[in-house]
Amino acid sequence: MTAPATQRRSMVLLRPVPGTSPVHELWAGTKLIVVALVGVVLTMYPGWVPIGLVALLVMLTAWLARIPRSVLPSVPRLVWVLMFLGGGTAALAGGEPFLDIASVHLGLGGFLNFLRITVLSIVLLGLGGLVSWTTNVAEIAPAAATLGRPLKWLRIPVDEWAVTLALALRAFPMLIDEYRVLFAARRLRPKVRPETRRERRRQRRAEIVDLLAAAITVALRRGDEMGDAITARGGVGQIVASPARPRRADAVALLMVVAMCVLSVWVEVATPLATHRL
Amino acid sequence: MTVAGTRDKAGPLNPGEYAQAAVMAALSAATAIIAVVVPFAAGLGMLGTVPMGLLAYRYRLRVLVAAAVAGSTIAFLIAGMGGLMTVVFCAYIGGLTGIVKRTGRGIVTVLWSSVVAGAAFGAYVIGILLLVGRLRELIFASMTSNIHGIANIIAAAPGGERAAEDLRTGFAAFLHYWPVPVMLSMIMHIVFVTLLGWWALSRVLKRLFGIPDVHKLDTVESAGRVAPVPTLLRDVRFRYPGTNRDALGPVSMQIDEGEHVAITGANGSGKTTLMLMLAGRTPTAGTIDRPGAVGLGKAGGTAVVMQHPESQVLGTRVADDVVWGLPAGTTIDVERLLSEVGLSGMAGRDTGGLSGGELQRLAVAAALAREPALLIADEVTSMVDQEGRDVLLSVLSDLTRHHRTSLVHITHYNDEADSADRVVRLDGASDNIEMVATAPVPIVAERIEPDGPAVLEVRGVGHQYGSGTPWESTALRDISFTVHEGEGVLIHGLNGSGKSTLAWILAGLTVPTTGSCLLDGKPVSDQVGAVAISFQAARLQLMRSRVGAEIASAAGFSKHDTARITEALAMVGLDPELADRRIDQLSGGQMRRVVLAGLLSRRPRALILDEPLAGLDAASQQGLVALLAELRRTTGLTVVVISHDFAGLDELCPRILHLHRGELAEAPVTAGERS
Repeated sequence: MTAPATQRRSMVLLRPVPGTSPVHELWAGTKLIVVALVGVVLTMYPGWVPIGLVALLVMLTAWLARIPRSVLPSVPRLVWVLMFLGGGTAALAGGEPFLDIASVHLGLGGFLNFLRITVLSIVLLGLGGLVSWTTNVAEIAPAAATLGRPLKWLRIPVDEWAVTLALALRAFPMLIDEYRVLFAARRLRPKVRPETRRERRRQRRAEIVDLLAAAITVALRRGDEMGDAITARGGVGQIVASPARPRRADAVALLMVVAMCVLSVWVEVATPLATHRL
Repeated sequence: MTVAGTRDKAGPLNPGEYAQAAVMAALSAATAIIAVVVPFAAGLGMLGTVPMGLLAYRYRLRVLVAAAVAGSTIAFLIAGMGGLMTVVFCAYIGGLTGIVKRTGRGIVTVLWSSVVAGAAFGAYVIGILLLVGRLRELIFASMTSNIHGIANIIAAAPGGERAAEDLRTGFAAFLHYWPVPVMLSMIMHIVFVTLLGWWALSRVLKRLFGIPDVHKLDTVESAGRVAPVPTLLRDVRFRYPGTNRDALGPVSMQIDEGEHVAITGANGSGKTTLMLMLAGRTPTAGTIDRPGAVGLGKAGGTAVVMQHPESQVLGTRVADDVVWGLPAGTTIDVERLLSEVGLSGMAGRDTGGLSGGELQRLAVAAALAREPALLIADEVTSMVDQEGRDVLLSVLSDLTRHHRTSLVHITHYNDEADSADRVVRLDGASDNIEMVATAPVPIVAERIEPDGPAVLEVRGVGHQYGSGTPWESTALRDISFTVHEGEGVLIHGLNGSGKSTLAWILAGLTVPTTGSCLLDGKPVSDQVGAVAISFQAARLQLMRSRVGAEIASAAGFSKHDTARITEALAMVGLDPELADRRIDQLSGGQMRRVVLAGLLSRRPRALILDEPLAGLDAASQQGLVALLAELRRTTGLTVVVISHDFAGLDELCPRILHLHRGELAEAPVTAGERS
């Protein structure tokens, strides 16, 4: 936010896109399950067909949720340069399959490998982005508590984790604001550049410790005050006024995603459409 | 604070542990996200080990695990799998260093345990890679493609054939025996990061020694009926452990059912200590009689609302905050409670967007959800703007009428005590018992002809956050004014009027989206540091551990230059002996003066003060204003104060600009109008 006011779009953290849609209204737990499920399938079977199907899912969801293209933060130029370099060197590797245009004999294998892993990362990022663009932060901790309920049989303190998560989500924006001030205060200081390299290194180390100590002091203070507030409420208990529950729409969405995952696995395991093993 | 905090042996987390786990989780999630999202910032991610290490050092493992789960979930939501893994990694290494530190072992133990930990982590990564065969093949194939491509480029160069072939076969061998390099690199990486974390944690812990514990309330376990009123205090005194004088008392007083009692007194008179006594702490001398238990936060018990609006509120949504902490299964009428504190219809709003006054009223609603027999409001208005203060006070004074609640209102404002049935004045040990009078809003801004050349010129400035995204919001619209040399200007506005954004723009820290802000004719954003700014949270601006070093660092001279440090301290009316004092031992007013000393030593072109009086008691406020007015008169310092308050500022700032929802509500006196 302190970035120069060029036309670059900054990243907006943990805030859903304003408005509502069938996707916004889904139970947060459903979205978490979908992300986990898709993550597992794509890690086990990163073929073109599963990637394509998930890309389709991402686009369909984005359309249903009326997510404008402007949510995407500007991509730093450095990332483009790195992508270009990676794509370039991979393309030069050649390899199967070959493409013949008139007398030109092109080996696409290397480039296709690069492309697949890049698209895979983008699709997964997009899926994660959709969750944060359509889910109110307040719904996440209760959903995680519900999803984790089976773990209670193993005597895992799921509710404790959910409360900590809810409090951490509450503290997160406050800490971010405080760090903005911290870094601004640092920018205001005069820059003294020592003569020798050893002095410069020492100064850099001292600066890191200064910043860390200031950041931790601020966090400790926040923590003490938050602890007081919890004590004043008589300890922990409910964390949400009207807990959302999964409804029919959630079942439909989940069934669709499960079907998609089964289809992906089937294609990869038992059909010739599978991306051939390398 | 004793740096090694209190450790319970077993059982669920206590409130302090919850809160520390949550903030440290948020802190390490924030570092992990920056490390993943910002290219080449991966090194920063390693610093996430420090908060986790501190947690492991101060508390039991259970707290660290809860923080790791919470932090990794947040990092996953924002930065995906990479974020999650970074937090887990930080918790693993931070936990290791923290526990070694706690058990008092040294660097040798850290080294060996990090080798073992590295081997364990390496085995885990190899196991995962074995499990996801296809993804492993794809990653390896993709890396091979890149290497082959580079090899092809090398081969094209004359005489490069050999080198290219070596590269290809070398990389193939690397991939063939992949578990070995993975294991080795994991061990090396973990050892390196652990040592770095150990170093940073040791340095930071040394710094943290002497940070005062600002936590006040403790849960008092008590069986039996909850009934805190009527309370009878007889000759109550309290002395904090390790001090040699009473912080409170002797005090004798009674609080009856349904009574509204105001408690006044300056900082240091023991107001807050009295609050602690009423909230259940045992006095060092004297007796407190109650019919039953205090029942802090329990139904029909005692509720406390404290000073900092943001810290009071624990829920992310308004309705969630009202029920936060109620025993499972309790149902209450959220909407009724919200309408009682004037927040009806806001149940679904995010608490992050509320103003200070709204947050405090929400805290009152949450207190009322417990139908408390005793409600203690401890300086609840000191961080709230004028409008918010009025509404909050009327909510408070109506309480005793509609509920069977006794209200104890602790305040350092004169007029706030007026609506009480009874006022108790604590004179305490302190001698500055003067009270703050809140000033009425001046109707018309005084038009004093500014003279001297223009220093800061704001021309058609507008600012938007999140431009071009669905979250776009406008903070400022078409602001134009000029600040002349030696002038004192107050920019007055309520919460959310955009005044903090304007302060950042004036200091050059934010570049406005439209228009420009010029210092001596050139954009101020190109001259960051030329305009000094003192932020509302003075503590954030103090980075060194001791006063002298801090002033030297902020002003840019050597910390051994005692003469200039003494001069700087004298300029802000502080004793030169303070130079050796630790920053965290200073009072709020002293912190603000130390910040000013550092800023003024650089002879800034102008000084911007963002809410300079917030949280200070009467004497400190008057002292600070008098000091600034004096500096302005004698040195010709240009001062811009940004505030929601007018109290006592008229001498320092003869010219007032009103900011309302991002626009200047009244036409200011500009250079254009004069000519």
